[in-house]
Amino acid sequence: MTNSTTRRRFLASSAILAGSLALPIRAMAQDGPIKLGTLTPLTGAGGPYGPVMADTVKAVVDGVNAAGGVLGRQIEVVSEDDQTNPEAGVRAARKLIDVDGVSAIMGTWASSVTTAVAPLCWESGTMLTTVSGADSITLLPHEGYIVRTQPNTILQGQKFGEFTVELGAGKVFFMSPQTPFADSQFSEITKVVEAAGGSTEKLIYDDKKPSYRSEVDEMMAFGPDVVVLGGYMPDTTVLLKDIYRAGYEGKMLAFAYSVNQKLVDALPAEVVEGIYTIAPSPAEGSAAYKALTELTGIASPDPYTTQIFDQVNMVILAIAAAGDASGTAIRDAFRTVSQGDGKPVHTALEGLEALAAGEAVNYDGASGPCDFTAEGDILDCQFRYEQVKDGAFTLLKIA
Amino acid sequence: MLSYVIFSATTAGIYGLLALSLNLIWGGAGMVNLGLAGFFAVGAYASAILSLAGVPVPIAILAACAMGAAAGIGATWATVRLRGDYHAIVTLGFAEVVRLVAMNERWLTNGTDGLPGIPAPLKSVLGPQGFAVFYLCLVLTILVAVFLALRRLDRAPFGRVLKAIREDQDLAGFAGKNAMRVKLIAFAVSAGIAGLAGALYAHYQSYISPDHFQPLLTIYIFLAVTSGGVGRPAGAFLGAFLVILFLEGTRFLGHLLPGLSSGQVAASREILVGLAFLLVLHLRPQGVLPERIRPAPAQ
Repeated sequence: MTNSTTRRRFLASSAILAGSLALPIRAMAQDGPIKLGTLTPLTGAGGPYGPVMADTVKAVVDGVNAAGGVLGRQIEVVSEDDQTNPEAGVRAARKLIDVDGVSAIMGTWASSVTTAVAPLCWESGTMLTTVSGADSITLLPHEGYIVRTQPNTILQGQKFGEFTVELGAGKVFFMSPQTPFADSQFSEITKVVEAAGGSTEKLIYDDKKPSYRSEVDEMMAFGPDVVVLGGYMPDTTVLLKDIYRAGYEGKMLAFAYSVNQKLVDALPAEVVEGIYTIAPSPAEGSAAYKALTELTGIASPDPYTTQIFDQVNMVILAIAAAGDASGTAIRDAFRTVSQGDGKPVHTALEGLEALAAGEAVNYDGASGPCDFTAEGDILDCQFRYEQVKDGAFTLLKIA
Repeated sequence: MLSYVIFSATTAGIYGLLALSLNLIWGGAGMVNLGLAGFFAVGAYASAILSLAGVPVPIAILAACAMGAAAGIGATWATVRLRGDYHAIVTLGFAEVVRLVAMNERWLTNGTDGLPGIPAPLKSVLGPQGFAVFYLCLVLTILVAVFLALRRLDRAPFGRVLKAIREDQDLAGFAGKNAMRVKLIAFAVSAGIAGLAGALYAHYQSYISPDHFQPLLTIYIFLAVTSGGVGRPAGAFLGAFLVILFLEGTRFLGHLLPGLSSGQVAASREILVGLAFLLVLHLRPQGVLPERIRPAPAQ
């Protein structure tokens, strides 16, 4: 290898580098389409959810565009992949904000990605709507630019605590891998259970172990009435087998996303019999939920899809209500369309009509009533309580 | 658009530091370090924790460098006698240990919530735009300084000893070189540079969490060094920018594939990145800037 070839190679690569920088230059005219971004996990751990979320946003926007758009402008959706990784998520968000000039980013899923992306949003005046649950997110100094449709873990922890008391538990044992919500969930459960005169104990385990015998021994030594499982599906599958082997006969309570139909099908019936599950309940039967199922053709959309459906509808309504498509305008107008005494509406189209007629609107969504605190948390959410009976889920109540 | 280019270049600069770190140890001594993300994490957390505790940022960054080097010595001290694959597996384990510690030692690292609000030097004075430019200059200056130092090292007797060890450790031993000592020093310097990169990353992003330090990052850096040219600092330097160019450039190709859903576009993007590197390895396995073995200067 001589010197000159190397230099030529180097020059060639440099030219490619320089040329590619010129590639994505696009005009960011005020009169062009309004740009909205989705930043969902299209690959990685969140891969099963992100693509449906992004497609749902596109479907809603297509509907609005067909009806003439908003503020007389069409809406363009730019979808990027956060790879369920905050490092990649930040790179994608920078592209959405700096190159595309989106006024809102919707659908960040992993809490770490949302926290990483959040500063870019509030610094650039971009609205961020998320489905992440970690409590710390809305505590960031976000100046109102973050809104989330997922109940935070304090609310979820309270529901778990209240339900264990309802099940008559005196001693509650909490088992979970290390997650952003394990600690706050446990402390909320403890508050409720101790107020009712009970006691709690927790165990944090490694979610990639092939067996949990020592963990289960520790649980058995405590002698709980109810075991709360805070893990995800793969580790919960292994854990349940070991709990059964140890001869535990008390009650068990888990998130519905971990003890789901797939897990129930994969394990022998006696292992999963009687497990209670809790999940934030989509507003099944609501007009928005019905609109969502018709739009996407999915009979029972997952919670994240119902949430991002609500997010895009509210963002579009906020733009219309503000008469301006900037991120700051969306932030300022968000709560005027999500809550209040206005006419209840369930889709962006319905809301746009009402707004055009000079009426105030209050969006009620597919994930719930969609009313927010000043910090950006939802005020109220229904939960769905189910129990495994003979290999199937039986609905106990929605409350 | 401009701020996006500045951001990408800054990220590439930080990747460049990691690539230089890997090149020193892999290209130089022939030791595979699959735990690069771990040393990156050590530096990021060290600098973040110190500066959040009130230590001035420059001192925190220097401390991160030292912590990285110390972690490097710690991780290799017991294992430097292991060869090839075994050493690589230990480093892979090291990175996982760091990630697990970061996830579970909440008192120190705030667990999976991560550490938000890491001080960004001069950001309040310069504003977001000014800060981006300033930080790009800072990262590039450090990158060039490290590059020049490593190139100097590469051409110095120390670099030649490293390469002698890479080719045949026993032979280097017969020639009177203390292979263990040289390898340990090289690994410490390499880990120190990775720690420095981590610290720069933490202060730039203002937020880190265990999720940031997934093994994927190590793979990207391996791709950078391989495509740039193993064993030559300039190759690692160039490779890092090529990788960012590929990762970011492929974002803009999605529009060229009509009829694909966003999930499919994301998947084809990953395929494209892999394919590009396969092609580089197939057509130019020695990398864009191949290694050059210089004759030793006459005495």
